Amino acid sequence: MYPEKLEKFLLKVQKPGRYTGGELNSIVKPRDSVDISYAFCFPDTYEIGMSHLGMKILYSLVNARDDARCERVFAPDTDMEEIMRANDIPLYALESGEPVKDFDIIGFTMQYELSYTNVLNMLDLAGLPVKSAERTELTPIVIAGGTCVCNAEPMADFFDITLPGDGEEVTGELIDLLKEYKAKGAAKQEFLIAAAQIPGVYVPSLYEVEYNGDNTVKSVTPTNGAPAKVIKRNVSNLDAMFSPDSFVVPFIETVFDRTTVEIFRGCIRGCRFCQAGFLTRPLREKSPEVVEKQCRAICEATGYDEISLCSLSTSDYKGLYKLLGSMIPWADENKINIALPSLRVDNFPRELMEKLNSVRRSGLTFAPEAGTQRLRDVINKNITEKEVLSTSAQAFEGGWTAVKLYFMIGLPTETDEDIEGIANLAQAVVDEYYRCENKPKGKSVAVNISLASLVPKPFTPFQWEPQDRPEVLIEKQNYLLSCIKTKKVQLSRHVPWTSFLEGVFSRGDRRLGEVIYTAWKKGCHFDSWEEHLDREKWMQSFDECGIDPYFYTARRRELDEVLPWDHMDYGVTKSFLQRENKKAHAGETTPCCREKCAGCGAARLNGGVCNELSENLV
Amino acid sequence: MNSVRIWYKKSGLAIYTSHLDMNRCFTRAVTRAGIPLWYTEGFNPHPYLNFLLPLPLGQTGLREPIDIRIEKDMTKEEIKEKLNGVLPGGIEIVDVTDPVGKVNEIVSSKYIIDMSFDTVGEAEGFAVCASSIMEEGVLNAEKRSKRGIKTVNLCEFVDSFEISQSENTIRMEAVLATGTEKNLNANLLVDALCSQLAADYASLSITRTEIYINNKKIFE
Repeated sequence: MYPEKLEKFLLKVQKPGRYTGGELNSIVKPRDSVDISYAFCFPDTYEIGMSHLGMKILYSLVNARDDARCERVFAPDTDMEEIMRANDIPLYALESGEPVKDFDIIGFTMQYELSYTNVLNMLDLAGLPVKSAERTELTPIVIAGGTCVCNAEPMADFFDITLPGDGEEVTGELIDLLKEYKAKGAAKQEFLIAAAQIPGVYVPSLYEVEYNGDNTVKSVTPTNGAPAKVIKRNVSNLDAMFSPDSFVVPFIETVFDRTTVEIFRGCIRGCRFCQAGFLTRPLREKSPEVVEKQCRAICEATGYDEISLCSLSTSDYKGLYKLLGSMIPWADENKINIALPSLRVDNFPRELMEKLNSVRRSGLTFAPEAGTQRLRDVINKNITEKEVLSTSAQAFEGGWTAVKLYFMIGLPTETDEDIEGIANLAQAVVDEYYRCENKPKGKSVAVNISLASLVPKPFTPFQWEPQDRPEVLIEKQNYLLSCIKTKKVQLSRHVPWTSFLEGVFSRGDRRLGEVIYTAWKKGCHFDSWEEHLDREKWMQSFDECGIDPYFYTARRRELDEVLPWDHMDYGVTKSFLQRENKKAHAGETTPCCREKCAGCGAARLNGGVCNELSENLV
Repeated sequence: MNSVRIWYKKSGLAIYTSHLDMNRCFTRAVTRAGIPLWYTEGFNPHPYLNFLLPLPLGQTGLREPIDIRIEKDMTKEEIKEKLNGVLPGGIEIVDVTDPVGKVNEIVSSKYIIDMSFDTVGEAEGFAVCASSIMEEGVLNAEKRSKRGIKTVNLCEFVDSFEISQSENTIRMEAVLATGTEKNLNANLLVDALCSQLAADYASLSITRTEIYINNKKIFE
């Protein structure tokens, strides 16, 4: 429920349904019925945040406790922000309408670097100082989780705590601790020192960073007994892990408005550019029975007619046949569509495709990522052109006429030939369509290339690599465009300036906090939205803070350099990543975990057990 | 297959749900309620669910009709009960009937429009002036239609109009043209009056109370 003061403005903003709350299955608990109030903040608009699975999981998990409540908070769009600021309406949580600053924990989920300024803006809208050091009371404690906190350094000035890894277990432990410290009236610093003792809790203010003369990091030193390495949390048993049996059903349309259930975490593939694949190791699967049960429960509670089975590289799921075999008749009967958003081309059997086809047709997307075999070997995307073409042919026979291909430019060792290879591969898919005898009658084929640019990320073998400058990427995009000779192939490309900023912050250090602060003060927010990203203001901010952004992106780092995120431990070892980097430059591939263990080191998070490894040994 | 007309009330937080979003909301509610909707038989089958009249964003509706088709017989009481068990707050089924009238028979509907002003003087001024404008019968405003924007006299869309004032609030009861042929959104009437009178209200609530066919007979 929104604050009363807002009522007369609601019809003056776009999509007022974003701001009202009161959706089906939302959980409203009175403040005095609980010890800890948790405001879960998504630093983007309602439609995007409500599509995010992590928020749904933690929302249900916290609300399942009798002593705590969790409410949702999203970034108001610019029209609403203006009204809120002009009328002194502070940022509020959707369930109760109570001000966010009165909550005990304010938790952000950090999915992309370009939402950093939104965090500052939301804290400010809440009426709180944005800097951790200026928030002196015990509560609210500002915490963050999600992909980006694998390198939380650029946001170290703002977050009190970050939680690397899986949030399902550590969230509860942190709530328990805060409850205890709140009851005894402890000071914030006391709580932070104690929290740092929980495995997987990072308190940036307890670490001192020293720099070398060349601006690289010299050392990171823990203080007050904080651990030298913060090991990410890893939930070993996904079947026993908390998983929601109901979702809040939004009134307004969101980006993904459907049942989403994870089928496994981790990835056996080892594509060298892919941060998610390394951050989520080791691979842990949910059993098909549990997945199906969760899907049915959520569909029943929500009335959704679409299920998304969510994972990296979905076709690697060992239980996929069993799951689909059992779920498709039920889905058919209830007119529910099953979507598999992350399928790989090389093991995508026709039989499976037909099974899915019997329900309703979803789009078909492949991600060869690079245009030539040589470069695919460099990035360890072990897919051959033959595989792409034969799978496309199968898809065309199965009635598909549109194929989407994901590619990246700016990859290490890339040449013009590799870029031309992208156009050639797309053309080959078009040719394959016309060669196909059972293609859909009287229809043309559409091959859509979605072109991204590499942003080298922490905890990948490319974390030492230079990132192409935006001007170079634009040249490469234009070159690719000139290589495409048919209208059946369409190219959609990203603005390299967003990749550039993403690159600065993903491999940044603590000195960037001042830049983020300066840019936000200048009015930067919603930077991931092309229409909002203000390149000039960002460049001025770097300038004013005396920071060269290309130091973070364009420079090749030495393999033995101290990296700003070295005190985080995500399971995969630095020596493994170094080996992979050297192999990339030698054009050597690494087989997937199911074929041969590459010794990434992540199994130690599972007590030394790797699902893939143990089965291979048997 | 069995056609049923369900009548719902939309109020509270639900008034901020747009017409399109209402469609999605009801489709899901019917699914959750386990009511076997009939699906269209086209290339992309979708559940048959027909909102007869859109209710503009921000307006309350006391008795709004939707036609659905269901696969098997269910009592009207059962449909109402099951749906009310699963609908989000602010949306409530008030009745389930056999469809009697056809949508193109609808010509008008009745609205209650409550406004408040910062001062009693403003309310008094608004009531007196609005009343004389409506008596004169000329209130020009830009109206958007399928054929583009043009200036029309809104009074031609108003069947009856009464206004009363108490302290700093006023209440208008108006019967406005409704339907596919001729339609007036109550918000447009309010905006036109406000702009004509240079008035600025503190709060506004619009409720559609009844829907009529010819001769002020209630649409059933």
